[in-house]
Amino acid sequence: MNQDGRLQSMLHPVSQAAEQIAGLWWFMFALLGAVSLAVFALLVMGLLRRGNPPGGSTAFVVAGGIVIPAVILVVLLFVVMRTTMALKPAEGDFTIQVIGRQWWWEVRYPDWGIVTANELHLPVGRNVRLEVWSADVIHSFWVPRLHGKIDLLPEVVNPFTLRADQAGEYRGQCAEFCGKQHAKMAFMVVAMPPDNFERWVSERRTPPEPPTEPALRRGHDAFFQAQCHSCHAIRGTEAVATIGPDLTHLGSRLTLGAGEIPNTLGNLEGWIANPQAIKPGNLMPRSYLSSEDLHAIATYLESLK
Amino acid sequence: MSTRFEETWASPSGFPGFFAEVNNRPLGNRFMITAVIFFMIGGAMALLMRLQLAVSDNDLIGPEVYNQLFTMHGSTMMYLFAVPFIEGLALNLVPVLIGSRDAAFPRLSAFGYWCYLFGGILFYSSFFVGNVPNAGWFAYTPLSDNAYSGLGMDLWVLGLGLVEIAGITAGAELVVTVLKMRAPGMSLNRMPIFVWTILAIGIMSLFAFTALLTATMMLELDRTLATRFFDPNHGGSSLLWQHLFWFFGHPEVYIIFLPATGIISMVIPTFAKRPLAAYPLVVVAIMFTAFVSFGLWVHHMFTAGLPYLSMSFFTAASLFIAIASGTQVFAWIATLWGSRPQFRVPMLYAIGFLLLFVLGGMTGVMVSVVPFDWQVHDSYFVVAHFHYVLIGGAVFPFLAGLAYWLPAISGRLLDERLGTWGAILIFVGFNLAFFPMHQMGMHGMPRRVYTYPESLGLDGLNLLSTAGSFLLAIGFLVFLADVILSLSRGKPTPDNPWNASTLEWATLTPTPNYGFRQLPVVRSRDPLWESPPQETSLESEAERITRNLAGAPETWRGTLITSVLRAEIQAITWLSGSTYVPFLFAVGLLVTSIGVLTKFYWLAALGAAVSLGLLFSWLRPDPALEAQLRDDPAVRKTGLPVFTSGTRALGWWGALTFLTVVAMIVGALLYSYFYIRLYASAWPQDGLPLPGFWLAGAGYAALVAGALAQIWAGRAFKDGRTGRVKLGMALALVAGLGYVVLQLVDLSRLGFAPQANAYASLFYVLAIAILLLALCTIATTAVVFWGYAQGKLSESLPLHLEVATLFWGATAVLGVLVYATLYLSPYVLGGTP
Repeated sequence: MNQDGRLQSMLHPVSQAAEQIAGLWWFMFALLGAVSLAVFALLVMGLLRRGNPPGGSTAFVVAGGIVIPAVILVVLLFVVMRTTMALKPAEGDFTIQVIGRQWWWEVRYPDWGIVTANELHLPVGRNVRLEVWSADVIHSFWVPRLHGKIDLLPEVVNPFTLRADQAGEYRGQCAEFCGKQHAKMAFMVVAMPPDNFERWVSERRTPPEPPTEPALRRGHDAFFQAQCHSCHAIRGTEAVATIGPDLTHLGSRLTLGAGEIPNTLGNLEGWIANPQAIKPGNLMPRSYLSSEDLHAIATYLESLK
Repeated sequence: MSTRFEETWASPSGFPGFFAEVNNRPLGNRFMITAVIFFMIGGAMALLMRLQLAVSDNDLIGPEVYNQLFTMHGSTMMYLFAVPFIEGLALNLVPVLIGSRDAAFPRLSAFGYWCYLFGGILFYSSFFVGNVPNAGWFAYTPLSDNAYSGLGMDLWVLGLGLVEIAGITAGAELVVTVLKMRAPGMSLNRMPIFVWTILAIGIMSLFAFTALLTATMMLELDRTLATRFFDPNHGGSSLLWQHLFWFFGHPEVYIIFLPATGIISMVIPTFAKRPLAAYPLVVVAIMFTAFVSFGLWVHHMFTAGLPYLSMSFFTAASLFIAIASGTQVFAWIATLWGSRPQFRVPMLYAIGFLLLFVLGGMTGVMVSVVPFDWQVHDSYFVVAHFHYVLIGGAVFPFLAGLAYWLPAISGRLLDERLGTWGAILIFVGFNLAFFPMHQMGMHGMPRRVYTYPESLGLDGLNLLSTAGSFLLAIGFLVFLADVILSLSRGKPTPDNPWNASTLEWATLTPTPNYGFRQLPVVRSRDPLWESPPQETSLESEAERITRNLAGAPETWRGTLITSVLRAEIQAITWLSGSTYVPFLFAVGLLVTSIGVLTKFYWLAALGAAVSLGLLFSWLRPDPALEAQLRDDPAVRKTGLPVFTSGTRALGWWGALTFLTVVAMIVGALLYSYFYIRLYASAWPQDGLPLPGFWLAGAGYAALVAGALAQIWAGRAFKDGRTGRVKLGMALALVAGLGYVVLQLVDLSRLGFAPQANAYASLFYVLAIAILLLALCTIATTAVVFWGYAQGKLSESLPLHLEVATLFWGATAVLGVLVYATLYLSPYVLGGTP
């Protein structure tokens, strides 16, 4: 899946905001790159020539060290102000709440009562209002192809506007050191055409029916026997705990372990058996299930699309 | 055959003597050697980190150890290497650069060194208790609070506390040395630029390190006594830590960087064989940078969700400080222009510095820009930026400085070929290691990650960076080999091997402990290049005095005190000879820290008691010594006073710097109070009652009355009214004790504990800060009063009386501010916003 450095690259923007920032980068690169080269050229000239600097020492220092930098910086400040104003948060069509926890992301759609984890789904071309905060230490929400980052603080809700202008799946990562598994606290943003998004919402709003098929029934019962519901919720069942990620639609998620491994039946079994082997130090303990129970639970969870 | 003078200045001999050293030269060397050892340890940690990051999804080093490594790497480099190295270089060089014999407070220099060493040892003892700090070198809350971090962070805080004390004492020392001990004729505008940078950072340290000291003390209180400064669940703020930390953190990097530019401003003119161009502009640039650097700190917090308007202000300030750097860069280019310098090793590092610092400065301008910083903050782009300015902008000048000044320090030359190879390896290795990081950051690699997925496509760049880091390490080892070979077998150096113009080359090589046998009289900015013929009568008087003091005083260490602006001779000062007191005092503080850490509070009390006892012995006047000073023949011949007061006395300046530090602590706490108020939903928080202001008001009024009584006593002393002096001081003492009693009663009747919420924690801590200050003031006054009342009229009495008055003034002013804040402001600012 090597994407040649594109997967989380701020230089491959897919939103207007990220494009503005990338454009600002190229402008500064050109401007300040030219300034650096000019300074190096002056240094080389000075080392090779004889005599005094042009205009005499003091004039040289005042012109090159004070006046010209001041002019350049004023120009830069002007361009920067314009870009900053263009990036002011806009009204969102709806709200997504992102709550940071060691080391996963709780994602809620309060307008529709949807709760998920480690994934944001949004409609292409629409402004989405984000409200972000932390349940423990400071985290930071960063999906470079879409926007700069915003910190998740425990004491205040930070507002943010996100908007994708191209359909696709974009990876983000926590960008504020938050403890042991900071490096493996990633998430996906899935941008889809507005119709698909409406379908996604209506599918997620309805909790899944309790399973009737015996294999899934077995998995459902084993889930509760193994006490998984002491941390996890599945809407439509008696599992309501919010300590760990909500599993209501786990089957349709792209990854497990906050972006760590792809979501497949085999990987899910491995995760449930021993999450510590995949992401040591994360807050889900290993389980000691028989392989039949393990398989049953994983099959049941994967059926929750 | 050494003379009496040389014996007086000789280092104490033997193993126990090592702990009694107070002279600036050996202590400066000690600081530098210790700093270099820490640099190598920190560097080894970086190499381990780079090995882990060489390939994606690597499992060489797991998350637990990796997080400890980057925390210790950053903390070691920033706290245990960069600033202490400069402290050492400055301590060694500044006295001889300004034509003096030692620094202003030799015992303070020693005390600072031991605190630094013990702090570093505390840090590293964490490896032996299996609990290494792991919250990053800036330890953001709540992660560094005890809910999320273990004992390692307590070791971090307490170790850091001792290192901060060393930073503060070094700052005070260097400021007073530069202001009061310059050779006659070295007016401010004749000072070498390196000395200007040390003056700037000395002042900065008093404010910056104190802010950090306050913040770390608050964090330790949160961790051990459950105060709530940074606890959002009880009205505290995690962002408050960031504000306090970065208020220190940003000036800290300029404390590292400005002396580095000072070194370059000494090296380049020497090799260009010309004075530095635009000297006055460079001085202005240095002081401008020092001042403005305190107004930039929020640029470390651009992603925290702060208001756009305030962030824009910090962008503008961060951009415009670049102008000061630009001024210096062009001054160096102008100095070099057409001079055809020889590319000896110091010049190689100076050129390398220019190239790398310009690049680092440019990325610095970029990250000052808020929207761009939103992308690259906390990514490898910013890791690249700060390594360019810290290694390119500071370590390169340090290496230039070592290559330049080691001959003066050791008396031996370095090897040109080995030095050149080292410089090339370091330059190439550095760029290979750190340039790719710009790209890594822009392609989405956050910092402080122990691994990264293959899908990011950053394997190649990371591998290149790792290879570069090893090349860089080899370069450093080559430099180290050069130094070690030179120290053990290097060729002896001629007196002024670089044909430099400044005073450090005007004395014996290697520089002796006493600096100058005969103190110089300075008549230009470049004394070894141009010495205009003697003109004024002031100068001939200065010549007479320095001649009479050649190789004298013989039986005690003495040097000249001169005026701040024009360095006109004012007095002779006594400087301490070898003593164990500073070492033992530092041990006392270490014991106190260990007591707090292990929760054996009796141990902490014991350590504190020992320290206080030693402090008393440190500051107590000694009548036998006073007689010796008074009767010294050399001093008599000069006709200069040796007991002084006011701005002519080093002790007065020392008291002033101490009170500045205290004021800064109170200032940081007051800031915290109003910051919490700003974001609180109700005030006082959680429905706590508004404070009753009558009882406390009487107490603080007593403080003011005490200050007035003390001032009255001081006036009476000048008029020779003995009775009034005693009465005034007695009244001050009574008033002070009255305040203490009233404040304690008020605190006991508050009805809430400091652990209730952030409002409560701040209330107690601010009141206790003034209480402690008042107790210091009372103790100082009591000692002076006791001596005076017994008729023991020490020669130091006028100075001690002044110091007591200064303490009273500070206590009263800070007391009134704290009273207004704690007891009155809730009535004005109270309620819900």
